[in-house]
Amino acid sequence: MSDEKEQPGSPAAPPAEQSPAEAQAKPAPPKPPAPKPAVPAGPKKWESTGEVAENGATAALKAKFGEAVAGVKSPCKEAVVMVPKAKLAEILSFLRDDAACSMDYLSDLTGAHFPVNDKKFEVAYHLYSLAHKHSLRVKVQLDDGESCPTATAVWPGADWMEREAHDLLGIVFEGHPDLKVILLPEEFEGHPLRKEFPLGGKQEEMIRSNKYGKPVYLPEDIEEARKIIEEHRHGS
Amino acid sequence: MAVNEQAEKVSPLREIMETREIELNLGPQHPATHGVYRALVRLDGERVLGMESVIGYLHRGIEKWAEYRTWQQATPIFDRLDYVGAVLNCHGYVGAVEKLLNVEVPKRAQYIRVILDELQRIASHLVWLGTHGLDIGAQSVLFYAIREREAIMDLFEAMLGQRLLPNAYPIGGVRFDFPKGWVEVCRQFLEIFPKRIDEYEGLLTGNRIWRQRTIGVGVISAKDAIALSLSGPTLRGSGVNFDVRKAIPYSSYEDFDFEIPLGQNGDVFDRYLCRVREMRQSVRIIKQALDGMPEGELRGKVGKIIRPPAGEAYYTIEAAKGQLGFYIVSDGSDKPFRVHVKSPSFVNLQGIETMCKGNLIADVVAVIGSLDIVLGEVDR
Repeated sequence: MSDEKEQPGSPAAPPAEQSPAEAQAKPAPPKPPAPKPAVPAGPKKWESTGEVAENGATAALKAKFGEAVAGVKSPCKEAVVMVPKAKLAEILSFLRDDAACSMDYLSDLTGAHFPVNDKKFEVAYHLYSLAHKHSLRVKVQLDDGESCPTATAVWPGADWMEREAHDLLGIVFEGHPDLKVILLPEEFEGHPLRKEFPLGGKQEEMIRSNKYGKPVYLPEDIEEARKIIEEHRHGS
Repeated sequence: MAVNEQAEKVSPLREIMETREIELNLGPQHPATHGVYRALVRLDGERVLGMESVIGYLHRGIEKWAEYRTWQQATPIFDRLDYVGAVLNCHGYVGAVEKLLNVEVPKRAQYIRVILDELQRIASHLVWLGTHGLDIGAQSVLFYAIREREAIMDLFEAMLGQRLLPNAYPIGGVRFDFPKGWVEVCRQFLEIFPKRIDEYEGLLTGNRIWRQRTIGVGVISAKDAIALSLSGPTLRGSGVNFDVRKAIPYSSYEDFDFEIPLGQNGDVFDRYLCRVREMRQSVRIIKQALDGMPEGELRGKVGKIIRPPAGEAYYTIEAAKGQLGFYIVSDGSDKPFRVHVKSPSFVNLQGIETMCKGNLIADVVAVIGSLDIVLGEVDR
């Protein structure tokens, strides 16, 4: 693996900032021109690399649903299929009930947020067959705000996993019996695992984007701090 | 009857004497909930009609945090998921990255991982055994169990420099070989430990009070257990033969000869027996690994900066609590794009409602203990 090589698409490092007083005291040395990136910088779509792997379950799926089910490339030879949202519920119950697949065990259900892709969300179902000992990942792509049919009717164990994905990514699972918060506090705003959510939470975002354009540290006095927060919340 | 109706109407006690459901709040600071777990139990007298779990008190955003670190820097945080089984969590994460990188871990490193994993499994089961006994009223087991766990913690300290959260494995292999004399101490421990398990079993398995508190309590059928995605001893207590070490072998587990203890009835007692017998099997595995330890490198070929190819991998191991899965997504950079942890405690806790319905309120504590949950892993 070429580890130390510079990525061709990575942008040049920004010039170091200097205060005006320092700049006057000693003139900055002429900087070498920044190397132009070979590939125009810009968001690149996320796509998996590798090759498509097959197993008994993918073969049975292809035989039944044909073109609707597309094999997905995987760098570590896992069987992955992408299915259209309209057929998801049908495919999931087929996978559980069909004798050749018999995916009776839902190992994991989760989602991921890809802000650069056209369809911004993916939900992944990790299925395993206790009888045939093969596994399969079923993926479905969703737009922002688009809902996904629930899998709780097929595997009751999907209940909490879907609630978790709803909490952290904001994916709505249609037909879920009780889609309420599970890991976050009830009054929490936003979905932390979305890429635009700051690591430090809403308070960090507020401090970063305030009208002064620089960090503001909240005073120790709780009343004053609360006043600043309220002012920011309703002011701009 | 007319007379009774008359009496009810006039009685001022009617309001309080009337039979009605009550809702009881168990936790989040209850010692028997093994952490900050809260259960809202609906009761008819002492009989449980239904319950609802409230979790998330220990949610630390570990999955989010990992996205802001490089692949190596993210390793130690996963020790904090299941903090009584830290080595196993670390194995799950580094295994997933190795799968995505397509790195071959040297055979010696794989065997060392098996030994440390199984020691950690015993340590985790010992904590479970002691606290589970304590919950049901068998206090003395805790002192015996912690004594043996201490010996394992000493072994970890000698080899890894840390007792509880050792950050055991780097990506690609293991960090250290056995220090001088470590193998002998480990073998001594393996000699005495089966006798110690006999001691625990002498205290519990035949104990009349223990049997009455556990047999037929918290029953879940094999069909329900599979449908609810339970895993580990919680699933095997219902008689389902699913152990990741056998089903999807990793880290050379196919080299070792061991059995998977199975229950029959899916009650608290069967789950207890499964875990106790698993400890005996772990001893067997460690002995075989020490005997057949191959020579060779400790780390595979991994660069200093890790940039896995764009793509995703799902890697599962058999942790002490059940199937621990890591779903990692890479965008080709040196930081994880997304890390999702399928934590066995979180999924196993889903089964608690099915297990507790129709039982007595005192049995809820027994059922929570038999699930072996760690709230750090439930909430992540």
